[in-house]
Amino acid sequence: MTLDIRHLTAGYGKKPVISDINMTAAAGRICAIMGRNGSGKTTLLRCINRVLPLMAGSIRIMGEDATQLARHHIAQKISVVPQAAFSPFAFSCLDMVLMAGAPRIRAWAAPSKKEICSAAAAMAETGIDHMKNQPFNAVSGGERQLVMLARALFQQTPIMLLDEPTAHLDFTNQHRIMALMHTLARKRKMTVVITLHDPNLSHYYCDDVVLIHQGRIAAAGTTADTLTDTVLTRVLGDNIQLDVTTKGVFVAVPRTIPPKMDDMADQSLENQKPYNKKVSL
Amino acid sequence: MKKKWAILGSVFFLAALICLCIGRYPIHPDQVIRLLLTGPGADNPATGNIADQMKIFWNIRVPRVIMTVLAGAGISTAGAVFQALFRNPLAAPDILGVTAGAGFGAALAIIFLVPAAIVIQTSAFVFGITAVTLAYILAGLSRDRSPSVLVISGIVISAIFQAGLSFIMYLANPYDQLAQIIFWTMGSFHTASWAKIQAILPVLVPGILALVLFSWRLNIMTQTEEDALSMGIPVMRWRIFYVVVSTLMVAAAVAAAGTVAWIGLIVPHIARYLSGPEHTRLIPMSAFLGGLFLMVMDTVARSVLLSEIPISIVTSFFGAPFLGYLVIHAGKARFSHDT
Repeated sequence: MTLDIRHLTAGYGKKPVISDINMTAAAGRICAIMGRNGSGKTTLLRCINRVLPLMAGSIRIMGEDATQLARHHIAQKISVVPQAAFSPFAFSCLDMVLMAGAPRIRAWAAPSKKEICSAAAAMAETGIDHMKNQPFNAVSGGERQLVMLARALFQQTPIMLLDEPTAHLDFTNQHRIMALMHTLARKRKMTVVITLHDPNLSHYYCDDVVLIHQGRIAAAGTTADTLTDTVLTRVLGDNIQLDVTTKGVFVAVPRTIPPKMDDMADQSLENQKPYNKKVSL
Repeated sequence: MKKKWAILGSVFFLAALICLCIGRYPIHPDQVIRLLLTGPGADNPATGNIADQMKIFWNIRVPRVIMTVLAGAGISTAGAVFQALFRNPLAAPDILGVTAGAGFGAALAIIFLVPAAIVIQTSAFVFGITAVTLAYILAGLSRDRSPSVLVISGIVISAIFQAGLSFIMYLANPYDQLAQIIFWTMGSFHTASWAKIQAILPVLVPGILALVLFSWRLNIMTQTEEDALSMGIPVMRWRIFYVVVSTLMVAAAVAAAGTVAWIGLIVPHIARYLSGPEHTRLIPMSAFLGGLFLMVMDTVARSVLLSEIPISIVTSFFGAPFLGYLVIHAGKARFSHDT
């Protein structure tokens, strides 16, 4: 196991946000962390990255105790794709990617030609090598996410953490970035941990899933075994069900659509019926 | 890039030559070149006019030009560094209270200590550093480790030292001491001398070189603290390093010449316009332009009117409209966070 978490408790101030978390993640696999807003997903990621101190428990990264590792050693093992990024100065996309070379580059040095080539290669891998000289702040949200992903790749770490990478993306880009993560995890034998909200994305692209409810693990295991109606209902609320479309695509959809104002004016009872119509993608 | 530096280099030498010619006692460019080639204090049996010229040139004008270049380069580099550290293109190097502290120190020396140049300079330097240290301690007492807490601490400490300065001015003898304090707070290089250069050179030159050397990491310091940590940079430690080096430089420059307004804020913007925001290019460009800009501004300050104009008046008068021009023409991306 590249990532092994035992009895982890952490939080802000004195109040724990997550408690007694046990989970593992293996190389070449994508692990999704799911849960409702405020359930502690981001807190867990911040603990793994050692930005937030632990209150109890242990985190082992590649067999080493994470609490004993110096900052630049952690950065050689873990890279992070943040939820949203902006830059106060109009750096080019290539300059943004190059920053992740810091753990390897001496403090008084600038990136060498070799590092610049390797950063360009990371950009090519995410399909954005044409944007090298464009200012980071002038590209779209989806492209920025890809720049941040290229930056994490350029950091060349065995573990990558992504905090809701799909949050600000359109439908096509959500699938594009998840498919890319799937390929990268397999090709580079990386351990990828992603926080996600959409059960569909977890089901299509992730190998394992950890569901957190009110700061505790509600269920964990392979996606196929774990993402069931009962588990999803317990963690994400009772208005969710799993289904298969007429074209054979697995989907998670709401159980009922609450009556809307204009429908209520009709006083039609049709709206009170469960929403069973199948949705195709 | 090489071509750009060649042009800028020639502009600098031409400007330096012109600044050496202009003054209350104009010297012909031919003569300037001859004097430069002869060297200082050369055992020249020349009498009268030539000897006077040589004295003025080597003891007053040359040290003054060198000092403005050094101070301008130091303050501007510190400005670029502070804008990166505070992730804000409108941060100035005196944001943590170095100028307010130095002003208080200088006034204190003028009134209560011996009003000799070296005493004033030392007191200003010590109090400039003290102010920033206090701001850092105050910010350290907060649980919030973000740079904005540091900025607020800087404002608090600045206000206290400003009040102290005002109180000393209130106590000062209005016939000589008050005028001296006011002139100091507006800055001037008329006291430039080789002795002052000896005092500031060992701080400014290594300081600028250190910042040029460690300039690439400043790119990462402009990212959020968590992102910088994820990329393996212990942010707190590096922030202290950059603040210490910049503060020493600004304190040294301000202690020698008094407050020099605006250039720490504006020169990095002009530099960004020429070299882009990437710090390995921006820091050398800021140092270069800062030296050039302050040298020219000081020449204006000493030659436009019959009497010397305080340097801050000149730098504000020319600097502020220029920033206004950049706001209008440089485009939105340079000042705003998002597009």
